[in-house]
Amino acid sequence: MSKLWKEFSKGLWKELPPFKLVLGLCPVLAVTNTANNGLGMGAAVIFVLTLSNLLVSLVRKAIPAKVRIACFIVIAASLVVAVELLMQAFSYPLYQQLGIFVPLIVVNCIILGRAEAFASKNPPLLSIADGLGMGIGFTMSLTFLGSLREILGQGTWFGMHVTWDGFEPFGFMVQAPGAFVSLGVLLALMNFMENVRRKRRGLKAVEGPSHDCGSCGACGSSSKC
Amino acid sequence: MQEYFLLFIGAIFVNNIVLAQYLGNCPFIGTSKESGVAIGMGAAVVFVATMAAAITWLVQAYILVPLGLGFLQTLAFILVIASLVQFVEMFLKKMVPPLYKSLGIFLPLITTNCAVMGIALICQREELDLKTTILFSFASGLGFMLALVLLAGIRERLAVRRLPIAMRGTPIGLVMAGLMSLAFFAFKGMI
Amino acid sequence: MKEMIKMVVVLSVLCAISGSGLAALKQVTEPIIEEQVLTYVQAPAIESVLTGYDNDPIKDRKKFEYDGQVVMVFPAIKDGKLIGVALETASKGFGGQINVMVGFDVAAGALSGIGITTMKETPGIGSRVAESGFTAQFQGHPLKMVELKSKGGDIDAIAGATISSTGTVNAVQNALAIYNSLKDQFAQSWS
Repeated sequence: MSKLWKEFSKGLWKELPPFKLVLGLCPVLAVTNTANNGLGMGAAVIFVLTLSNLLVSLVRKAIPAKVRIACFIVIAASLVVAVELLMQAFSYPLYQQLGIFVPLIVVNCIILGRAEAFASKNPPLLSIADGLGMGIGFTMSLTFLGSLREILGQGTWFGMHVTWDGFEPFGFMVQAPGAFVSLGVLLALMNFMENVRRKRRGLKAVEGPSHDCGSCGACGSSSKC
Repeated sequence: MQEYFLLFIGAIFVNNIVLAQYLGNCPFIGTSKESGVAIGMGAAVVFVATMAAAITWLVQAYILVPLGLGFLQTLAFILVIASLVQFVEMFLKKMVPPLYKSLGIFLPLITTNCAVMGIALICQREELDLKTTILFSFASGLGFMLALVLLAGIRERLAVRRLPIAMRGTPIGLVMAGLMSLAFFAFKGMI
Repeated sequence: MKEMIKMVVVLSVLCAISGSGLAALKQVTEPIIEEQVLTYVQAPAIESVLTGYDNDPIKDRKKFEYDGQVVMVFPAIKDGKLIGVALETASKGFGGQINVMVGFDVAAGALSGIGITTMKETPGIGSRVAESGFTAQFQGHPLKMVELKSKGGDIDAIAGATISSTGTVNAVQNALAIYNSLKDQFAQSWS
């Protein structure tokens, strides 16, 4: 039980996907112009990630090592198509808002990364816990960034007016430049907090996690890795 | 003719794939620390994105639509792109070793580069014809390369400056990307 | 060799399972998706071109056959009597297809209005066909001679956007042709 909790909770802070692992940046930047879009995207990712972790874990012993990445891609892509259909059927406006970023979940490093790094080596229950935790962490981050950008950029939160009268919104925040800058500043803040914590323990301050494309199962279909 | 020219310029500057459309950010931040690496990655993306868009266009028009399987687009496209990358890698290794030497290490990273799949999907959503698709994807790839090389130039200089330790690495890269994106906003008035 | 066979078998089994699973899901969701598209894409246009009805035009829609093609028609009914219909047609504009929802007033024998549902015209120029300044000209227009002034009609084209204007007018003419040949069927099926 405690092991299950450990795998679940690591995604919530210690390995918080977009901030600590710096994975899957495109949707983080693209769909966080409002809190609602961030939340919707996060929900889609939770669905795909949890189920793909479960399925990968279930078939992990039957898959020959050489085609495992191809199998992961087929599983992830099928789930994404399922999400596309369900989203069109039950949440059409959100589907229109998120646009091509719904099908692009399939190339989100988190999905293949977790399949390769965790689900292909662990039993189904643990894999579900891992997927759920990572997915929820991802959703929290997206919703948080979305809230920040929506409040500063439009003066609203989930469409509700939350700022005082006379508040002049920063249009910059909901545009592309605002996305890059606010994510950059947030990452810097997280690094800063981490360094304060290290200092208190008498450790030396370190640079934040570096962004490494190769770490995310991005080796894709290559046979080498 | 003028139409194609506008499309070309628009795809590179106005609707830059990274700075305005938020695609391909992982490699944009991840491979922009040195300009040599950035040029290699950029060239690989131009090459693969153009081929992928053309092939996925053919797959969509001659396989998925006639069979009524349009809803499997995502699944089909990612499989086409993954096998295309694999194939290009093998082909270059055998036939053009010098090119393989410079681009080879970037190819595996491209399967999960959402710029490639994103460009293919945009071409479908905009219902471009084959000729326009090839032109648009080539220009978008060039736009990616331009943004990547520019950012690498900036980050190479920043690497020797004294920055607050928490800002070093990815955070400052993102802030710089934001400023570049702001600068590219100026092109909006052009078209 | 044995490994090779296993690889092929595993991959094909996986593809077969996911393919059939998705096909089943597609079957289930298709009618719901159709309803959603109607609600979010067509409904606003229908509301703007039909007035004074007390039914749900989308729920009461029916399909008709015209010239070998299926046409979806939305009725406006008041006190059980058909007072108007709306149908969507398309024509080629400057940037791509222009889809126009055209409303007919059955009793007055006139157009009750038009609304653009989807288009890809140049923002700020061709896109002005969707503005009320242009579309209002069709409101109450008799069911003949829907034509631009330059071709002897009485519709003012948008300056600098002749192709988009012509496209819209062509779409209205298509709708008119459909209405004229099917109007007796309309009267029968919703009486």
